[in-house]
Amino acid sequence: MSDTYKDYLAARILSDGKPVTYRLLSRAEKVNTHVAKQMLYEFHSKQNAKKPNSIHATYLLTGKKRIEEHNNGVHKKDGDDTFMHSSPYMSSMPEPEEPEPDESTPSTSIVLVREEELEVTKAEFEKITSIHIYSLEPGPLQNLNVLSVCNQEVATDYLGEDPLERWRLYGSIHNPSIKRRTAKFAPPPPAGVPKAASKPAQKVVSTATSKAKDTAAPARRGSASEDNTSGRSTPQLAPAAGSLKRSDSKPNLKRDKSDIFKSFAKTKPKQKEPTPAPVEDDPMLGMSEDEGDPEDVTETKIDEEKAAASRKARAEREEKLRQMMEEDDDEEMPDAPVTEDKDSQDAPVDKAPIAQPAESETVTVQGGRRRGRRRVMKKKTVKDEDGYLVTREEAAWESFSEEEPEPKRPKPAPAKSTNTAKGKKTGKSGQGSIASFFKKA
Amino acid sequence: MADSGGVVLTGAPFEEAPYLPSRNASAYKPLHTFDLPKGADKHYGQQFADMYFLRLAELKTHVKQKAEEAWSDFTLGEEQAQYVDRVLDVRQGQLCWVVGTVYMEMGLKPNVLDDIAKEHWIAAPPPRETYMSAGGQDEMMLEDESGRLRVIGDGLRSQYVTGCILAALGTEQADGTFQVIATQYADLPRQPQRWERDDSQLVESQQPPAKRATAGKLAIVSGLEIAGTADDHLSLDLLMEYLTGEAGGPPDQFQRSSITRLVVAGNSLAHASPILSREDFMAKKSGKKHYGYDASAYNASPSEHLDLFFSEILPSLPITLLPGPSDPANVALPQQPLHPALFPQSRQYANPPVKSNESRQGLDSVTNPWEGDIEGWRILGTGGQTVEDLLKYVEEVDSIEVMEMMLRWRCIAPTAPDTLWCYPFQDDDPLMVRDCPHIYFAGNQRSFQTKVIAGPVDQKVLLISVPKFSQSKMLVLLDLETLEVETVDFSVVQPGGQA
Repeated sequence: MSDTYKDYLAARILSDGKPVTYRLLSRAEKVNTHVAKQMLYEFHSKQNAKKPNSIHATYLLTGKKRIEEHNNGVHKKDGDDTFMHSSPYMSSMPEPEEPEPDESTPSTSIVLVREEELEVTKAEFEKITSIHIYSLEPGPLQNLNVLSVCNQEVATDYLGEDPLERWRLYGSIHNPSIKRRTAKFAPPPPAGVPKAASKPAQKVVSTATSKAKDTAAPARRGSASEDNTSGRSTPQLAPAAGSLKRSDSKPNLKRDKSDIFKSFAKTKPKQKEPTPAPVEDDPMLGMSEDEGDPEDVTETKIDEEKAAASRKARAEREEKLRQMMEEDDDEEMPDAPVTEDKDSQDAPVDKAPIAQPAESETVTVQGGRRRGRRRVMKKKTVKDEDGYLVTREEAAWESFSEEEPEPKRPKPAPAKSTNTAKGKKTGKSGQGSIASFFKKA
Repeated sequence: MADSGGVVLTGAPFEEAPYLPSRNASAYKPLHTFDLPKGADKHYGQQFADMYFLRLAELKTHVKQKAEEAWSDFTLGEEQAQYVDRVLDVRQGQLCWVVGTVYMEMGLKPNVLDDIAKEHWIAAPPPRETYMSAGGQDEMMLEDESGRLRVIGDGLRSQYVTGCILAALGTEQADGTFQVIATQYADLPRQPQRWERDDSQLVESQQPPAKRATAGKLAIVSGLEIAGTADDHLSLDLLMEYLTGEAGGPPDQFQRSSITRLVVAGNSLAHASPILSREDFMAKKSGKKHYGYDASAYNASPSEHLDLFFSEILPSLPITLLPGPSDPANVALPQQPLHPALFPQSRQYANPPVKSNESRQGLDSVTNPWEGDIEGWRILGTGGQTVEDLLKYVEEVDSIEVMEMMLRWRCIAPTAPDTLWCYPFQDDDPLMVRDCPHIYFAGNQRSFQTKVIAGPVDQKVLLISVPKFSQSKMLVLLDLETLEVETVDFSVVQPGGQA
């Protein structure tokens, strides 16, 4: 065991002024949490011997509190332990219920306390079964809640490790019966963690379960998008790669107006890439679409730009993909703006049954009301033999009238958005100004 | 264990971490009593009347039997009590007893027609703490297929709520009301033996009886109410570190390895219900006007945090997850399992959908209410809204007493579908208690309480009301060998006493 932990602690606490919990230290130094607790103590006592009060500690006490301490309002010093005893709920309870656990129920208390309040808190305990330093920080904390950032760091920075092997290294309780599915389509880490992406894929636990038949390299976490690209066998998907997923729900917005899809539309932040589409025909429950269609591509691009910051590393590859995508929809894309224009500007005009290649629709306008039929992609969900819900898209004709608002273009390029704005205006009044008609037509 | 063993306040040279035993697998056999049909087989167009009919039809025999035992030779003066089959057949002045469904007419009970009529004119009424009207004009009725009978009697109102099946002994007064002298309910149903389901399977497959290890402990927590604010994270961290066994000194860590399963009893997320509560609705209404779904207002951080919380615990401890009233599940009882898409990390520990019926050491997202066998005990648990709603009918009653009455009435959601949203069951009402559980817990209650109740044929049920973690910071531990309950509370001493 080297002394690198001292450097780490010194750098983090003294230089950066950030708190360190035993858990974060154990992850950073790859030592057991038990050792990390001792390291914190060692560092704390050494530093404070050199220079008093240069380092500040919080302690975690475990034990049994005195029974009388359970009763509200007998605190030795007001406010020392309000958090636990008079949780707002209990004190404000209208009914004369017995707010505390029965006397007969044994209760263990786990208290996190700063070193200032340590002695007072200790006095409240009848018996302390364990005590250790929870965290070190450069000065007295005003709000202990900041300590939770340490655990967030643990979660984001040390993701690459196999969670089922944690117990060996860090000393959490081992549970041999827990299995983890080989994440064929593992989600990315919850926060932008580029470093996890470098984790070798072969570290994957070999608990390949029923899905072993899929030849796709089992991707986990950070490496997800890369492996997905290779694992995907549907040809039209290949160009879209990992980024396709992000846009998946937007087209839904357009095609069917079911609320559930709308609610998914924007929910996931860019980096989320939730559970990429499975390889052949078993997408995960409605979360995926097997179609790479033109709209998706535009969407993807827009999203991409927004999220550019978080994935500079992959920018190159994506650039390539993007070009491929553009090639893909060369023959269709030019039509999209036309549809847009027609839909919005033609509204007041009497006849306009123009078939659109992209989203073929026929429109008639009567008395300011648009009616017509259009070809839409309908979702059909069936259960396959594996019990997965499979969502397929099928073209179907759908009639619409104006109450049904025109399928919204998911706010495309700025140039287009001016069009939509205009279109909305005319649509609402039912009688656009005639000038707007002549502008384009 | 010496106290000094837990004191980790020594510096170099560092001692190695002591040995920590591995957790035992938890013997876990969920029942799928409350699963609704999938997709298009789910019909919401049916009438709720069938539920009341089913309830009465099924419980009438039991209640009648109980009443017969109690009242068969009951005489008042010279008159012998008679059983009357239909409530409308009660004759004035005759001492008799009838069986029917209770219906409470209460002043403040929500009424759809009122809501529609008033919604346009006045602001929404404040959230209701109780349905009882102040003047005491609430009426109680007993109904069956034939009709309704208005009943009066001392203390009836604080004992019964809409939907429970009851036998009432009394006489009809001149004004047509039925004066009740005594009542009877069905009481606890048959209780299976411990390990009954497993043993019968073994017998069927002609295998020798299993040798079972000593059962561990079950941890129950409810009302994590993760809202995405930073304030609640620290206590959740402490809970997580406690459960994974990282926090604390060796003797305490050692003890925790006996915990074999965590049950999360509802309300893991705050403000995530698809139907907004009145408060949330008002808050939203007062904000920016927006047509349709406002995607920009969606905040993913609570569910991400919950996912992270679970994924940290799951490598060490299996989790059974019940939805609650504020979770993003369907709002009508029985609430169906939270969708795995909410848990991109934790779902890797869950069964793939096709195997969801198999017992699994990992994340099990289940229904609310939920029923299953853990370590051979039949356990019934709810997210707590049934108790919550029932408490609005009565005064000065603890949730633990309500839970007891539910089991004795053999219906864990009597007030559904009257004041509690509920799926319109047609042929079978799973909310009725057919097998008496050994352990019945309700999450999100006001306080921690336990009680052991006994039934007529030596049934013993442990009732646990589990408080919200967000308020009480309390974890309940249940020893599955001795059925002893203990609690663990987490607290953070904030400087200056500010919680």
